[in-house]
Amino acid sequence: MNERESLFRRLSAACGERGAAVEEPLPGGAPTAPEGDRVALFAKTFTAAGGVLLRGPVEKALSDLGEMLRSEGVTALFFPEDDAAAREIAEALVPFGPFNLTTGAEVRGGSTAVTAGFRAAEAAIAETGTIIETSAGGKTLLPGLIADVHVSIVPVASVVARMEEALAAFTADPPRNISFLSGPSKTADIEQTLTVGAHGPKKAIALLLG
Amino acid sequence: MELNANAFGRNARKALLDKTLQEALGRTTGRFQAHRDAAVAALPEFEATRERASRIKGDVLDHLDTYLARFIEEAEKRGTIVHVARDAAQAREIAARIAWEEGITLAVKSKSMASEEVSFNEALQGAGVTVVESDLGEFIIQLAGEAPSHIIAPAVHKTREEISLLFERHLGEPRTDSIPELVGMARKHLRAKFLSAGMGVSGGNFLVADTGSVVLVTNEGNGRMGTVLPRVHLAVVGIEKVIPRMADLPTFLRLLPRSASGQVISSYVSIVTGTRRAGDPEGPERMHLLLLDCGRSAILEGKYREILKCIRCAACLNSCPVYQSVGGHAYGWVYSGPIGAVLTPLLVGLPEAAALPDASTLCGACADVCPVKIPLPDFLLELRSDARDQGLKTPGEIAAMKGYAGVMKRAGLLEAIERIAGVLGQFFTKGKGISGLPYPFSGWTERRDFPAPAAQPFRKQWKIKRGVTR
Amino acid sequence: MTYTTGMDPKGPIPVSLFFTCLADAFSPGVCTATVEVLERFGATVRVPLSQTCCGQPAFNSGNRKEARAMARKFLLSFPDDGFIVTPSGSCAAMVKHGYPVLFRDEPRMLARARAVGERIFELSQFLVDVLGVTDPKSDFSGKVTYHDSCHLRRGLGVIEAPRKLLRAVPGIEFVEMEESDRCCGFGGVFSLKYPQISCKMTERKVERILATGASYVTSGDLGCLLNIGGLISRIGYPVKTIHLAEILAGKTVGKEDAG
Repeated sequence: MNERESLFRRLSAACGERGAAVEEPLPGGAPTAPEGDRVALFAKTFTAAGGVLLRGPVEKALSDLGEMLRSEGVTALFFPEDDAAAREIAEALVPFGPFNLTTGAEVRGGSTAVTAGFRAAEAAIAETGTIIETSAGGKTLLPGLIADVHVSIVPVASVVARMEEALAAFTADPPRNISFLSGPSKTADIEQTLTVGAHGPKKAIALLLG
Repeated sequence: MELNANAFGRNARKALLDKTLQEALGRTTGRFQAHRDAAVAALPEFEATRERASRIKGDVLDHLDTYLARFIEEAEKRGTIVHVARDAAQAREIAARIAWEEGITLAVKSKSMASEEVSFNEALQGAGVTVVESDLGEFIIQLAGEAPSHIIAPAVHKTREEISLLFERHLGEPRTDSIPELVGMARKHLRAKFLSAGMGVSGGNFLVADTGSVVLVTNEGNGRMGTVLPRVHLAVVGIEKVIPRMADLPTFLRLLPRSASGQVISSYVSIVTGTRRAGDPEGPERMHLLLLDCGRSAILEGKYREILKCIRCAACLNSCPVYQSVGGHAYGWVYSGPIGAVLTPLLVGLPEAAALPDASTLCGACADVCPVKIPLPDFLLELRSDARDQGLKTPGEIAAMKGYAGVMKRAGLLEAIERIAGVLGQFFTKGKGISGLPYPFSGWTERRDFPAPAAQPFRKQWKIKRGVTR
Repeated sequence: MTYTTGMDPKGPIPVSLFFTCLADAFSPGVCTATVEVLERFGATVRVPLSQTCCGQPAFNSGNRKEARAMARKFLLSFPDDGFIVTPSGSCAAMVKHGYPVLFRDEPRMLARARAVGERIFELSQFLVDVLGVTDPKSDFSGKVTYHDSCHLRRGLGVIEAPRKLLRAVPGIEFVEMEESDRCCGFGGVFSLKYPQISCKMTERKVERILATGASYVTSGDLGCLLNIGGLISRIGYPVKTIHLAEILAGKTVGKEDAG
């Protein structure tokens, strides 16, 4: 008998006769959907998680964004090839640096430039201040993973109230990677002092459009 | 990890005298608790969520065979190779075999307490693999050659000076007392590892049965890096980490970050399912999941089964005044604080860890904060009783207990002893306290006085005052 | 919360006093004060003298055989009706929560233990929740801070009752300490098994007490007070321990004790 069979023998003996497993989730669970503006709540929670929020119109946002990136020492921008929204913003931002354009592959290859990675968010969660990025449809995760600054382009219509709603879309056939991103990378492992930029981006910017 | 639980008393005394450790403990635990309390207060439905999570986990334990089977089926459908290890030796063997078969020379690891149980790193190193811990706290203690002292803050016992010294010695970095600079050094050094490692090793906070997914809850981003960039992903997870459905995940996500560090949510939650799909630009080509039994199925059979609900948040550690006084290393194994005092004896056997269930005043602070409502104080009491049943108590203690029970059998005998003690006590102390008691009470009077017995016990006074005899 | 047993609310309230082995031997003034307070508010107090010890030290240290023997005797020592009131949160919690564990395999004893558990109360809990007392009518005066003993607060859920009573005494200047609910380090046998850790916890508690500037620290558990008092006495800090019952009884009562 292999180890797996042996394990299930032990588990079945331990579980004994306890009736059938519960088929449906227990009722209740999600806190009542927040009243009022989901977008306003997202702005609040994303900021509380250490993120920086910018709103449209795009022209004003670009100027603020450019300044933020310059102050972080960013010199190069990259975005996914197939991400039109990210491309549009990044290319429009070039003169505000000035910034170079690079690719995720170059960053992954070990480029030492300080970079900003741009990507359209697939959804955002107001409850927690979360941006969702997944690998569904062959999309890359590099901008939120290895850039020094991550800029998410968040369509206002994609903001949902709670985690339940965000996950419902992915349960039937989840992609390899569903990522919840809530603010910059953080650690408090040294003397319990909160510091940003452990391994992921040091700054998380959400550009709310629409 | 090496087991040294029965040296708790000695290690605790050492810890109390360790000034650096005391400074670190004083700084951190109060902060964790305060943040946790604030985050809990900000969620009006917190109590209802706790109850719900406890019931979901209860359902999982009642039907672990069903849910685990479902999880494995779904995981395998999506390319995950699932291994089962009955014990630590098997786990090490499987880990080494995976590394060898996949041709791994460098593995980058994000935190897994379960992997510490089986001395996972040593197993890989024995197979010629360099293992780099990427969680900042784990990275620091790996450089120091130490074990983690807290479930979610492994280097809580280290000061920035000590860390800077380590970085100077092992990474060639200049000394600094700036924490952001220290973090930057680790980031730079570990980034190179992430980009070149053949295998990323992770733990798993949750296993989602209806999709075969592994969920990682982190703040640093290392869990993500290690499960997106390398060619192979190996997750090491205890069998009890299953939750039934993706729809149940939010309940636990509402509890874990709040209970652990007072955050509404951690910076990153990664839900990974199987291998990269055709057309994915990143993602592991191979995904292995090493499921650990290592004593869990045995616990499931018995009266302590609820301990398997634990989601490893460490809220109990942070709330425990004993943990706060001595830190995690004193507990002598992977898990410390209240959860460690129960889980260690259950996993390694009570004879090897009988000192731990006694390391508590049963104050109940842990039960107040446990997000899945594990009755920790009840389990500590139960283990103490098991220790008596298993012959682990000293003859002295048993004799003392029998003597005390013998006296309490008869009120007349008790009163006689009280009256004698009262007379002697008053004679020798003249109404002041006692400053030196014989063993086993000498520990008390080292630094505290003890009152002399009253000249007349209450029961005698009552008889006199009310003119009654019984 | 008001508790009724179907008794005439205007008639005398039958109470059996569970005076605890610790107070009996070391602080009999606590017992006397408890009787005084109960009688002040209309209780008829009986003191069953066959009682000895509820068995808590044996139970807490895992010695259930001995604990069971003491629990049986305890259950036999008290009448089948009326209330049982004790000045000890931990002893009340032992009977209420510990006895059902001790007798979980003995249905008859379990039923008896449960029935007794329904009728047992700590003093402040009884005064406020059962008798509806809002003013203890005490002539005590002084600056007082309160230590939440673990078993009273977490075991029995008694948090506000002692505070309500203390605040209602005109002569008391009541001040809350920080970490009032943090364990003082006594833990019964813990203080003997791990005395250094115990002492460290007591030191922290005493620090918080001293920070309030109070002249008195009080609590509903004598064990805690002996522990805290022992450290205070050794160092000579300017604060006194006094049991809640003694404060409620007032200045003129209970001076025969030694501690």
